[in-house]
Amino acid sequence: MKALKRVGSLLFTVTLCFALIAGCSSNSSSNSNKGSSSSSTNNNQGSSNSGSKERVTLKIEVFDRGNAPEGLTVTNNLMTQYIQENFGDPNNIDVEFVAIPRSEEINSLNVQMAAGTAPDLIFTYNEGAAYSWAQQGGLTDLGPIVDEHGPNLKEYLANSLQYGVFEGTQYAVVARRVNLQKYSSLIRKDWLDQLGLPVPTTTEETYEALKAFKENNLGGQRTIPFGFALSPDSYEPVIWSFINEQSDEARYLRSITIGSREYPILMDGHKDALQFLNKLYSEGLLDPDFALDKDKKKKEENFVNGYTGIYSFDTGQVFGNGENSGVMTLEGNVEGAEVVPVLPWTDFEGKSRQPAYNPSGMYIMVPTFSERAVEAIKYLNWMAQDEVIQYMSFGEVGVHHDVVNGYPVRNSSEEDQKLLFNPGDMLIITNGIDFGSSEKNNEYMALSVVEKHRDLATLSREYSDKDAVSQPIRFEKPLDSEAKYSVIMLEKYEELLVKSIMAKPDSFDQTYEVALKDFMDTAGTEVIQERTAMYEAMK
Amino acid sequence: MIRKNYVFKHWQLYVMLILPMAYFIVFKYMPIYGVQIAFKDFNVFKGISASEWVGLEVFKDIFSQKGFYVALRNTFMLNGLDLVIGFPAPIILAICLNELRFQKFKKIAQTMLYLPHFISWVIIGGIVYQVFATNYGMINLLLENIGIGPIPFLSEKSAWLATYTSVGVWQSVGWGSIIYLAAITGINKELYEAAEVDGASRLRRIWHITIPGIRTTIIVLFILKIGDMVDIGFDRPFIIGNVMVREYSDVLSTYIYRIGLQSGQFSTATAVGLFQAVVGLVFILTANYVSKKTTDEGII
Repeated sequence: MKALKRVGSLLFTVTLCFALIAGCSSNSSSNSNKGSSSSSTNNNQGSSNSGSKERVTLKIEVFDRGNAPEGLTVTNNLMTQYIQENFGDPNNIDVEFVAIPRSEEINSLNVQMAAGTAPDLIFTYNEGAAYSWAQQGGLTDLGPIVDEHGPNLKEYLANSLQYGVFEGTQYAVVARRVNLQKYSSLIRKDWLDQLGLPVPTTTEETYEALKAFKENNLGGQRTIPFGFALSPDSYEPVIWSFINEQSDEARYLRSITIGSREYPILMDGHKDALQFLNKLYSEGLLDPDFALDKDKKKKEENFVNGYTGIYSFDTGQVFGNGENSGVMTLEGNVEGAEVVPVLPWTDFEGKSRQPAYNPSGMYIMVPTFSERAVEAIKYLNWMAQDEVIQYMSFGEVGVHHDVVNGYPVRNSSEEDQKLLFNPGDMLIITNGIDFGSSEKNNEYMALSVVEKHRDLATLSREYSDKDAVSQPIRFEKPLDSEAKYSVIMLEKYEELLVKSIMAKPDSFDQTYEVALKDFMDTAGTEVIQERTAMYEAMK
Repeated sequence: MIRKNYVFKHWQLYVMLILPMAYFIVFKYMPIYGVQIAFKDFNVFKGISASEWVGLEVFKDIFSQKGFYVALRNTFMLNGLDLVIGFPAPIILAICLNELRFQKFKKIAQTMLYLPHFISWVIIGGIVYQVFATNYGMINLLLENIGIGPIPFLSEKSAWLATYTSVGVWQSVGWGSIIYLAAITGINKELYEAAEVDGASRLRRIWHITIPGIRTTIIVLFILKIGDMVDIGFDRPFIIGNVMVREYSDVLSTYIYRIGLQSGQFSTATAVGLFQAVVGLVFILTANYVSKKTTDEGII
């Protein structure tokens, strides 16, 4: 009898285990079948008024860049508390932030979208991913909700909203982007002075200067005349300056959009650009290990240690960070080092054509399985008020920022660092703060730079605007093939770059053709076909 | 009746089995349900069961992609290299260690050899770049100073293969030798004494006693290794590889990562994974069969 009891309890344990497991699985599958079935008790999707009785939870994505100050996290800090107090509590909403690692953004969102566990409000810069979710029916149509609950938001975003419309439906709310400059370059003025050269203004002059830097080893044994990494800020400015076509038709039919960049891969001049880089490489003017340097760490290191002659970078980078800026570090490391902005590359018309951003920022979306679309838009609408934007970017005057020349400038105090360590990831409706005009914006940007570099930084930004072309050129909707192959194409393109640049000069032609063919066979041809078809349909 | 009593008597043992069994069921068997994605046009928002069946479409798509074959070839190539060089290495090391008579040195040497096993590949990758970079890597600086030109360990394909293989051996050889050392300890000491009395040299003793003594272990591990031929770890090729050698460093696991997670094509990634599993099964069964026929030893 006793034994029987034991068996009984054992059986019970086992069945319990299985029941648990089975319970889990059926739960998860039903979840993914018809969207979230949990929390159906407090489902108030329909009730649109703000005075909803039940307290609901709104989950919002936030990038985790691992830069939260000690004791704080990206999901719980002074800013999230501010949001809870000023937006959450009055609206009877618990705001919960969900951390997504910045570098694994698309991977984790893909998984969470598939599992139905993604936050109610998600965002990404990756248009391809946004479109692929929209296409699979995973995104809520935000058009009517924005109309009803987002008057401020609509007014604030204005034109950038259109970027979130795919095939006539507003699948995403697209943030504004204020500063459209993409890349800037600096040259070592002290090196030029030593050689008695002027600041180069054409590609030929730049080439001569690079040669002279190398011959005279101005940065010591390790001189790297042109700081170059396997990253867009290195190759894009050079390549675009060699392109001999500029009509929209050429851009539609002979360039390919990979991620958020336009690659003029079939345009007239693309090969010449790579051949030029090949020449630079074979003459020792680039870092021989550039292909290993995808994260630009080495390139930055070489620059601040004074090995680099010409350095191109994402606009704003080397002047940012106050006392610890790249240029400050360089000046601290190398006595007498001096840099000036430069526009090193000129195109066939003698212009310094260079890429610029479209005026759109993050794609902000609500998954279909979320029941908080209305709250999500209310949140964005709340954010689109002047005083909220002001607080979320600068905090309070005297505590987090000072007013300099009429502009709020963060004061880098401990309070400031604690409140505003990730303003760009919290104030998601805009990328950069708009002061009304690009002059004013430049003026403001300069104020965040240490005083002695302000003029340089301003000039550098102005240079980045010169002959700049917004990229990528857009179709009415993203292309299926570009979305499908974006990762593979980027890798193949990098292969094309690396192989062509590192080839022996006399075998350049062959290497280029083989690598280009590989790119086209893998995905390029399919993409170009789709682009052509879509362009024909658009005409 | 007797059997039943046995179960009753040792019920505790069965209870203890519940957790491990639950682990296998939850993490190894239940995911098999998801394999059907490989035969469906998987829509993440509709879920697995509501997605449409497409038969073998996904496989057709994969087999028409050049990248897949490259990844498959590389998987075999890198695993083949590991098999040829990486497999015997711990055996040789274990035998060498076993022959050491100075116990203290042996212990220290063993510990030092195990250590790399505990370092994550990410860190090893960083070290490899510091040591082997063409321009300012430690080894190439040395080579330059003694007048030998720089060797592109990381950027030239065959040199990269050598780097990849040797770094792998460095990382795993110590750890791999543990199991052989354990097997060697199990060999009857009297055999060695008898051989010594008969005047067998050290090499003869290794050849006729040690190696036959650990033969079973070698064969079992060999069969398992063969079964892993299509299965390749993700970290090592992903981290040690770079753009210049991608033709060689892109393997199935990195391919799946790119297609599945980065591009969100779950069906394709699942299909490649299934393909991998099936080929692996065929390999392991074949190796087992051959081994049973030739040496009478196997794992199944």
